[in-house]
Amino acid sequence: MQVFSKLKQSNYQITIISIVLATILALWKPHVLIEGLQRGCLYAVIALPMALILGIVGIINLAHGDFMMLGAYFAYFLNVHLGTDPLVAIFPALLAFFLIGIASYRAIIKYVLSSPELNQLLLTFGLAMVIEQLANLLWTSRPIKLPLRYVSASATIGSFTFGTFEFVYVGAAIIVLAGLLLFLKHTSTGQAALAVGQNPRGAKLVGINVDRTYLFIFSLSIALVGSIGAIFMTRHSIFPLVGAPFTMKSFCLIAMAGIGNLMGILWCSLILGIAENFVLSFRGYAGWADILFFALIVLVIIIRSRQRQVK
Amino acid sequence: MKSSRYLVYIGVLIILLTLPFYTGVYLLNVMDIILIYLALALSWDMLLRSGQISFGMAGLFGVGGYAAALIHLNAGVSPLLSIALGGLAAGFLACLIGMAVLQLRGMYFAIVTLALAEIFRVVIRNLPDLTGGPEGTILPSAIFSGNSTKTYWLVLTVAAVSVIASEIFRRTRIHFALTSIRNDEIVAKSSGISVFKYLVFIFAVTSAIQGITGGAYAHIYGFVSPEGSFSLDFTLLPIAMTLLGGMHSTWGPVVGALLLGVVSEFLKLKIPYGHLLVYGIIIVITILFFPQGIVGTIGQRLKKNHVERLAS
Repeated sequence: MQVFSKLKQSNYQITIISIVLATILALWKPHVLIEGLQRGCLYAVIALPMALILGIVGIINLAHGDFMMLGAYFAYFLNVHLGTDPLVAIFPALLAFFLIGIASYRAIIKYVLSSPELNQLLLTFGLAMVIEQLANLLWTSRPIKLPLRYVSASATIGSFTFGTFEFVYVGAAIIVLAGLLLFLKHTSTGQAALAVGQNPRGAKLVGINVDRTYLFIFSLSIALVGSIGAIFMTRHSIFPLVGAPFTMKSFCLIAMAGIGNLMGILWCSLILGIAENFVLSFRGYAGWADILFFALIVLVIIIRSRQRQVK
Repeated sequence: MKSSRYLVYIGVLIILLTLPFYTGVYLLNVMDIILIYLALALSWDMLLRSGQISFGMAGLFGVGGYAAALIHLNAGVSPLLSIALGGLAAGFLACLIGMAVLQLRGMYFAIVTLALAEIFRVVIRNLPDLTGGPEGTILPSAIFSGNSTKTYWLVLTVAAVSVIASEIFRRTRIHFALTSIRNDEIVAKSSGISVFKYLVFIFAVTSAIQGITGGAYAHIYGFVSPEGSFSLDFTLLPIAMTLLGGMHSTWGPVVGALLLGVVSEFLKLKIPYGHLLVYGIIIVITILFFPQGIVGTIGQRLKKNHVERLAS
């Protein structure tokens, strides 16, 4: 975690430039800024648990978005059968997905921890396929959506109207990020997890139970992403493949921010969310918004590799 | 021992060549699909032998398909030549990309190839004047006017080309270069192997094979579309096949493609909406229990038996 050192050496110029850019954007296209903020926070809140697994357990979980999809269906069925509001369903989802995380770690993930990277990638990829197809078989590919009245809440400033419900993503992103940072910095379990992430052998030598740490971090991440599914499904319609693109995007964000840089994920998500909305706001060019993500990720990875070579 | 092995090869070849004379159209169509996936699986494995994982197969497959279709439509080139040109286009594109990104390793290379494949798809979808946009482009007629026997021979040729390429790569010094890059890049470099050049070369060759396969696919079905030609299936299924059969060999991907191809055709009839579920389960089980794949596991067994027999 280089979060704090990053903050110290943070570049004042960059801060000033981004503030100026944001002000210009706020005056010119205010909805781009607001919607970009909301969308970016959604990306961030999904990417953070994945970064936790990648940083500490060291596994790229390609089934990440699919656990979110399962969480969304979980909230949907709670609502249909028990009438639970999806935002309340976050808490049972946390518990349920913690257990699911434990089960998948014990049954599958544990056995590939020391395998080559490719095997881990392919394994979680196979897992993603199983989850998606199982969902497809059980619930069909028909998109479903709950008719919730409060999600279309909006506010008006002057002549400019925007949706306020989506700020729940901003709240969720802040809570998850702050919670994770506090957990990693100020609890003994979190410190142990960081140590394991840096050097599993060394951690074992000083008496940390590495296996249990892996289990806990993996399950925690799955629990987080599952409960995010419950928030996600309030505003979006859900179908078995809804989570898959988020796996990709989360991974891209982590690669951009650098592994272990949780704060950076939030910034990268915001930049991407705003940039995507910026392109979307031009009529006739909306189709190009999808490319932004991938173009940026390719650029960032190549530039970073060049920098490393020069060093 | 050696001559009997060649007899088996020739026998299999004759059976494959004469297949159209004693089977129906349905089986030939199934074989077409299996052989297309076989060529893709082999080309993926060829790059994997250098330790590089590409997730961009569908991208180059789609580029090859689009290039072949557009060259055929706009320049009036004959379908067969346009398929070759499509492969060339994909190979050339891969060469350029490779020069830019092949200093990346492991998951960074994988993610960049995946992103590039998505970029190709989005670009093609957003150029409606040239490519027909999201609806795709329909060719005036399928290749050989849809004659299934000739189509089968075409696909068989494509598959044979990839098998031969793979065998060439296994039997020449390229094999040693790639294997040493995979095992330890620093050692490879210090023994005088030009790592970057080899990687660009192999990436271009495998991409050209993927492009040719894509071109053949486009001409067989007479149709290209962003979602169809760049479907993630063309990345994922060949990977599953290679994995099941066994990596780093010619016969692994071949066995895997034949096995999974037949199984999936059967499953499509039984569970039309969930046949990929079985794919996923196969991947998970293979990784957990036979990380060497079928051919690798059997090969190890045989070697062990042989050693035991020598010892006793």
